[in-house]
Amino acid sequence: MLSLTSRIGLSSSRTILSSQTAALFRPILIRGIKTIPQPPGFIVGTVNDAYVPPPPHKLEGSLHWTSERLVAIGMVPLALAPFITGTSSVIDSTFSALLLYHCYAGFQSCIIDYIPRRVYGPLHNYAMYLLTFGTGVAGYGLYQIESKEDGVAGIISKVWKA
Amino acid sequence: MFRSVLRFQQPTRAFVRGLATSAEKTSRIKSFQIYRWNPDTPEVAPTMQKYDIDLNDCGPMVLDAILKIKNEQDSTLTFRRSCREGICGSCAMNIGGRNTLACLCRIDTDTSKDLKIYPLPHMFVVRDLVPDLTHFYKQYKSIQPYLQRDTPPTDGRENLQSIEDRAKLDGLYECILCACCSTSCPSYWWNQQQYLGPAVLMQAYRWLIDSRDEASKIRREMLQNSMSLYRCHTIMNCSRTCPKGLNPGKAIAEIKKQLAFD
Amino acid sequence: MSASRLSAARVLLARSVSTVKASHDQENEILIAQRKNRPVSPHLTIYQPQLTMVLSSFHRITGVAMAGAFYALTCGYAATSILNIPFDASVLVGVFASLPVAVKLSAKALMAYPFAFHFGNGIRHLVWDFGKELSIPGVYRTGYAVLAVTAVFGSYLAFF
Repeated sequence: MLSLTSRIGLSSSRTILSSQTAALFRPILIRGIKTIPQPPGFIVGTVNDAYVPPPPHKLEGSLHWTSERLVAIGMVPLALAPFITGTSSVIDSTFSALLLYHCYAGFQSCIIDYIPRRVYGPLHNYAMYLLTFGTGVAGYGLYQIESKEDGVAGIISKVWKA
Repeated sequence: MFRSVLRFQQPTRAFVRGLATSAEKTSRIKSFQIYRWNPDTPEVAPTMQKYDIDLNDCGPMVLDAILKIKNEQDSTLTFRRSCREGICGSCAMNIGGRNTLACLCRIDTDTSKDLKIYPLPHMFVVRDLVPDLTHFYKQYKSIQPYLQRDTPPTDGRENLQSIEDRAKLDGLYECILCACCSTSCPSYWWNQQQYLGPAVLMQAYRWLIDSRDEASKIRREMLQNSMSLYRCHTIMNCSRTCPKGLNPGKAIAEIKKQLAFD
Repeated sequence: MSASRLSAARVLLARSVSTVKASHDQENEILIAQRKNRPVSPHLTIYQPQLTMVLSSFHRITGVAMAGAFYALTCGYAATSILNIPFDASVLVGVFASLPVAVKLSAKALMAYPFAFHFGNGIRHLVWDFGKELSIPGVYRTGYAVLAVTAVFGSYLAFF
């Protein structure tokens, strides 16, 4: 006894088209990366159920956004200062610290956009761990640069004038 | 009696001659390339089909053209339409690379260029130019787009609102939920399932700043996660494409400002 | 006579359309099966590039590129100091100085223009976050201003 969907000709063509739609929307860029299959049409529940947002988390929401903007506002004068006054250790250290957080937040935004947890599951977490670890290493490197060299601005100005 | 009939016919003949001048114009043939996909043959990949329309016999708007194609050339061409005046939001589609309403979009009379018509970008296609807006409507429902109050109105009858407070809703309530803005947003393309999109967020703002509404706290809490609101990176494609001239990008920026020190 | 013609028409109509009886759950099953077949409409390939999305994508691209270089520099420093490989600014200066002038200038331009653009567009983003210049004329005005700043500031950094 054929199922209803096969009687109206629906089930057989699923696999044929899914391989074509894969190129369009299944986000596998490299063959072999497993992605979590998404609900058909992205629809969870019936058409009358409202979409359910995740539970509120201010640290991931408004506080994150506000801290990103405050850091960016702080960076604007500090980035222009070396061009006007020349390199200074205090300005450079604060600027590098703010820049490190700015890069971390920027990469985090890219990871959330392009490697979302709902599609890549654990790979999203690995990407964030790698980012955090890389930021830690970069922080240590910055400490070395600030203590041994003339700061980041010093390195750049030396290379620039070479 | 017959003489009077003959004399009566002459002015009508002059009237007919006046109408005949339209036939003397050379025909202006414009090519339309329209996205086609048939769910009855789902193994056939979506294609672009070409149609030629004489602009002299067609109304000025793209909706007139595709209705003419459906009536005269290919009745299987499928699209949504209703009011033909830009108020219902049914005929939203991607015309010439931009999302707009077909009934408000004038056909570019340059006949050397093809006009490409696609359905709204990065949406599941039900058929030809019809996108599946189910998830869009579910997201709209999730922001609770209705007045919520714990206390009865102060005069016991009406929820009064000052003229200044009512003016704050201008530019927000006119949204027709056509989904042009949300489907023009690259963030919505990549994260449609979790990011609410400009249309829904603008309505969330409309209810946030409504002075009669008392549920601002829950409305703000609903947006306190990394995806629902904060996938907006102020790309501003939404305001650029809104066919009603509204500004969802500004509304979203105002929500972020309100939430900043929440 | 009309009744028989009506029934004949009904029979013809019935033969040209076939229906399947389905319960509510079966209808839902059909709907979900249909959803699996649907293609996704084209997006990046067909959307007309606009100043809004182009500048935003350049902001992200320049940001990622410069952050990558910054991380490479700092992590390189950290790694070489931990592994005790001699590496400091003079090494970089030496490598850079030995390059031909054309390569040096283009390398400097490659670093200066993205920096100038990201800096200018970053200020534009901060202006937006305060709620200003968020209309379409405002977006385009500030967009062209950022492009001008990039040209001027970037050229100054690269060539002077």
